[in-house]
Amino acid sequence: MVKDIQEALLKGKKEDVEKLVDRALSSKMPTARILNEGLIAGMERVGIMFKNNEVFIPEVLVAARAMNAGLVKLEPFLVRDKIQPKGSVVIGTVKGDLHDIGKNLVAMMLRGAGYRIIDLGIDVSAEKFVSAARENKADIVALSALLTTTMIQMKNIVETLHSQGLKIPVIIGGAPVTREYADEIKAEGYAADAASAVEEVGKLIAR
Amino acid sequence: MTSRELVKRTLEFSSPARIPRQLWFLPWASDHYPEELAQIQKRFPDDLLTSPSFYKKMPKTVGDEYSPGTYIDEWGCIFKNRQKGIKGEIKEPLLKNWGELDKVKVPRERLSLDLEKVNDFCRSHDQFILSRSCARPFEQLQFIRKPGNLFLDLADRPTELFCLIERIHQFYCEEMELWARTDVDALVFSDDWGGQNSLLISPALWRKMFKPLYEDYVDIARRQGKYIFMHSDGYIMDIIPDLVEMGVDALNSQLFCMNIEELGRRFKGTMTFWGEIDRQYLLPYGTTEEVRAAVRKVKDSLYQDGGVIAQCEFDVGAKPENVAAVFLAWEELSYSL
Repeated sequence: MVKDIQEALLKGKKEDVEKLVDRALSSKMPTARILNEGLIAGMERVGIMFKNNEVFIPEVLVAARAMNAGLVKLEPFLVRDKIQPKGSVVIGTVKGDLHDIGKNLVAMMLRGAGYRIIDLGIDVSAEKFVSAARENKADIVALSALLTTTMIQMKNIVETLHSQGLKIPVIIGGAPVTREYADEIKAEGYAADAASAVEEVGKLIAR
Repeated sequence: MTSRELVKRTLEFSSPARIPRQLWFLPWASDHYPEELAQIQKRFPDDLLTSPSFYKKMPKTVGDEYSPGTYIDEWGCIFKNRQKGIKGEIKEPLLKNWGELDKVKVPRERLSLDLEKVNDFCRSHDQFILSRSCARPFEQLQFIRKPGNLFLDLADRPTELFCLIERIHQFYCEEMELWARTDVDALVFSDDWGGQNSLLISPALWRKMFKPLYEDYVDIARRQGKYIFMHSDGYIMDIIPDLVEMGVDALNSQLFCMNIEELGRRFKGTMTFWGEIDRQYLLPYGTTEEVRAAVRKVKDSLYQDGGVIAQCEFDVGAKPENVAAVFLAWEELSYSL
């Protein structure tokens, strides 16, 4: 049954995922198994296929939509069974920048991988990133920028986090951003695309 | 040899006397570096120009496309902007649900083109003239639906999506037919198909839904004896064979998102590469020597008795000395053609 959930999710079949999750719950399958071996495993496969250019943005979005539908079904049981997310990620596009398609994809992929996502949206100030990271006890702060003039905000956010004693790893991404820039501003992580972001977040949390 | 002849020889792989050039720039560049930009333009004048749009009835827009605040384009799409000198982003779709399809009105004022004024412009310039019209169906769909919604639409493929595409495409065909009747040298179409490392949609879906549209634009150009130019940002290696096959004469693309040597091995001599030099890293952060090396790489990989236009964009963050270095490097390379 978990394989069926994975397959339905891969194909973006939202109603099928909902039915299959209901059926799994009715059969008394443990909630954690439905989540990890069904939904998350399905999105992991989507992530791998996305990285390998076997699926593209439309397919990832419908898979994420199906995943969210499955999570909605599972939510009360996750709470009942006290199943915790893998970690919490505060994510947003930096101040002065309104681009969000890349950031939204990363958020979806991370949610699909079992992380709790606090999406601050676009044009987010350093102060807002820091307070959200503190309030939500974030494990990762993820920053997106599409312009060379706004990516400098990333340095500001890293410095503000450090100056406030928050030792939270920061991962950055966006068209003008590079690994070298991440090193320069002392951001711990960098991802060139949404699929890599999930891997990178996993490594940073495991450290 | 006039600029027009230079570009034609380039497109026909007929050993132009030098490599033709064109500088694109955002208002950001003219706001931040007005003198440097003017110097570059004076030292390296463009061989290709875009015709102004001479409309008898002006399309209705609200606001300034390149200023902070709100801008409404001629389709009614609403852009939000925080940065001066660049274009804004769609934050709310014009078409929130498919029941509102009638809200989408094509900007028919753009069909009030004054052909005589366009022809006067063409006659009064020696440069190779590109049409102002720029069919861009994928981009316009994103503006109308908002990008995230459109990508879901492309997966779900509701009937109404095809109605919308047809409406947009018919308009673009009418507009291109008009421009094709003028004395411009080339028609232009554009859509950004690449992400950093891959296409945004599958090549199969692209071929099914969008390639036929572009084939129509190429056909319009061919029937009227015009060249046809295309722009597409990002990694688009997977669809370049299709563009060559359909007869695109020149492609403006982000060469440095792709393997330039592979582009040369596969496509040199089949289509003209209309720029660019990397604007993500090199122009803002590189040294002039790195820029010159990049220009050499492009020439070595892609030039074949023509087939290359020296183009780059003076984009946000670019250093003016690097933009100048691009054209200086191309000029020096032209001596050894």
